[in-house]
Amino acid sequence: MTNRILNHPVLDPIDESEVVTFTFDNKEYKGLRHESIAAALLANGVRTLRHHEESGTPRGIYCNIGHCFECRVSVNGEQGVRACLTPVQEGMNIESGGKLLTTVRDWRASQNG
Amino acid sequence: MTDNKMIICRCEEVTYGELVETAEKFGCTPRELKLRTRAGMGYCGGRTCRSAVDSIALAATERDISEITLKYQPPIRPVSFGKLGDVTK
Amino acid sequence: MGKVIIIGAGPAGLSAAITIAEKGLDVLVIDEYMVGGGRLLGQLYEEPNGNWWNGIKESKSLVERAKNAGVEIQLHTPVSNIERIDDEWVIYTESEVHYTSHLLLATGAAETPLPIPGWTLPGVMSVGAAQVMTNVQRVKPGNRGVIVGVNVLSSAIAMELKIANIDVACITLPKMNIPTEKSADPMEVMNSLLHVSHMAPSAFVKLGSKLMTNDFMKRMGITFFPKNGVKMWDIPIMLRKAVVEIYGDGKVEGVKIATISPSGEVVAGTEENISADFVCIAGGLYPLAELAAVAGCPFYHIEELGGYVPLHNEQMQTPVEGLYVAGNITGIEGAKVAISQGVTAGLAIANDVLGGGLESNIQQAIADIETTRDNAYIQFHPEVKEGKRKLQQYWEEHQNKSVAITL
Repeated sequence: MTNRILNHPVLDPIDESEVVTFTFDNKEYKGLRHESIAAALLANGVRTLRHHEESGTPRGIYCNIGHCFECRVSVNGEQGVRACLTPVQEGMNIESGGKLLTTVRDWRASQNG
Repeated sequence: MTDNKMIICRCEEVTYGELVETAEKFGCTPRELKLRTRAGMGYCGGRTCRSAVDSIALAATERDISEITLKYQPPIRPVSFGKLGDVTK
Repeated sequence: MGKVIIIGAGPAGLSAAITIAEKGLDVLVIDEYMVGGGRLLGQLYEEPNGNWWNGIKESKSLVERAKNAGVEIQLHTPVSNIERIDDEWVIYTESEVHYTSHLLLATGAAETPLPIPGWTLPGVMSVGAAQVMTNVQRVKPGNRGVIVGVNVLSSAIAMELKIANIDVACITLPKMNIPTEKSADPMEVMNSLLHVSHMAPSAFVKLGSKLMTNDFMKRMGITFFPKNGVKMWDIPIMLRKAVVEIYGDGKVEGVKIATISPSGEVVAGTEENISADFVCIAGGLYPLAELAAVAGCPFYHIEELGGYVPLHNEQMQTPVEGLYVAGNITGIEGAKVAISQGVTAGLAIANDVLGGGLESNIQQAIADIETTRDNAYIQFHPEVKEGKRKLQQYWEEHQNKSVAITL
């Protein structure tokens, strides 16, 4: 976990005592209790949290405080969970969202024409 | 990547080109621009792109200072049906 | 007597909660984040007197005081809707439905985006996101970042990244398009920065000494602004360059920047790549007023306050019965102003519930907001007072109209 800011010159040291193990897309990671899923994944070098339903483009955190929903993942089967404001917990099974199977035909050119 | 292909609404992947073209063609208010393009109608409810959609529409139309340009609609956060119906496992 | 409900556990919501609880009333504060403190959590800067304004400590102390006063705080609880049914407010959360006669909305602000080609790539985040990652979650948003958007907020957060030993390659402008127009105009940006320098005493004058001293002022002619920027805390601030694209395969690998003319047009053939693994978008803040909107509160767009704000009077009361507002939902200002607004709203609510007796306290609290505003170290808009004056005028017009209708 090299991406953590362990020794901050002004802020107190972080509590590294409670480590939790969780999975993201079936791969096991370690995080710290009291941190968000997004933070735990970023600390492990994971930036891509889902792929856009239509285009399949990768997405990660954008606002980090729950407004933009770009970081939504499913947690233990529950969909639409915001990784930025959900504390990571021991044994959590987190999955990213992906491109949907049926694409939508672009009708707009004819509609607007 | 050209500016026209640049995404404005991240949820619905509506591009700058599409918004500017629609706004110019129809002289849209922000609300009409949203309804025509789906910009701001995605998962986040337009929290991220509303100012950008507003600005594109307001390049050609006047802002009504006493009315929010893009209406907010409840629920302002997605609610799961399980929780809505108070289903307990 | 039911409990007062406050939505938002930031500086405004918590200080209101403390104020109300200290008057012997029950209070419930609801917030969707996992820690109390709101945007205050991420703040970290040195004040002119040498003391550090540490948002985490300030937040902890507010939460502590609230709990000691008997306030109940429900975190990680999103509110999906509010509505007035009969003579009560109904607050719908994911897990419960709450009822109250007095509801305070202290939902703060959201960030305005600056759309740039490539801005959906993982690694592009709002500047506030980088702040929370760094100071609250304590994970580096990346190893080397580029900040797009030159303003008070982005400069403050650039320094916070620097303190946490995160490399910031530069702070620069976005390429001009319709949504970025004002943030991409070098002259406009320069003017807004000079407004900041007028504040004294100002933490910014000290923190950004390189930016704000005469040395900088001499170079203010934007035409002669050095192409490679002026350094502030060793970070180049580039007002004559703009990010034209963010590139990378599946994640941010860098940004393409170009030289721009004094009016913001890209000079062809000047593009160069800067490698980075994260990009911060700093378009400023706007009041997050969605709940006030679904509650049916009238709104006015006031540029000086950052966007559409719910109509309210000096006592933070809206024209909608039992609905109050405080903090950044009423206009973009610093945490200290939010705290004093929270106290005012808290007193106004307690006064109404208790049937009067706190009128002089309220007047004092209103005066305190003004004093706090005058002494603010970081001012987001130079004309915030003008914005508040406009709001007061809209309030009076609205009151007169209501009276006319009643007659």
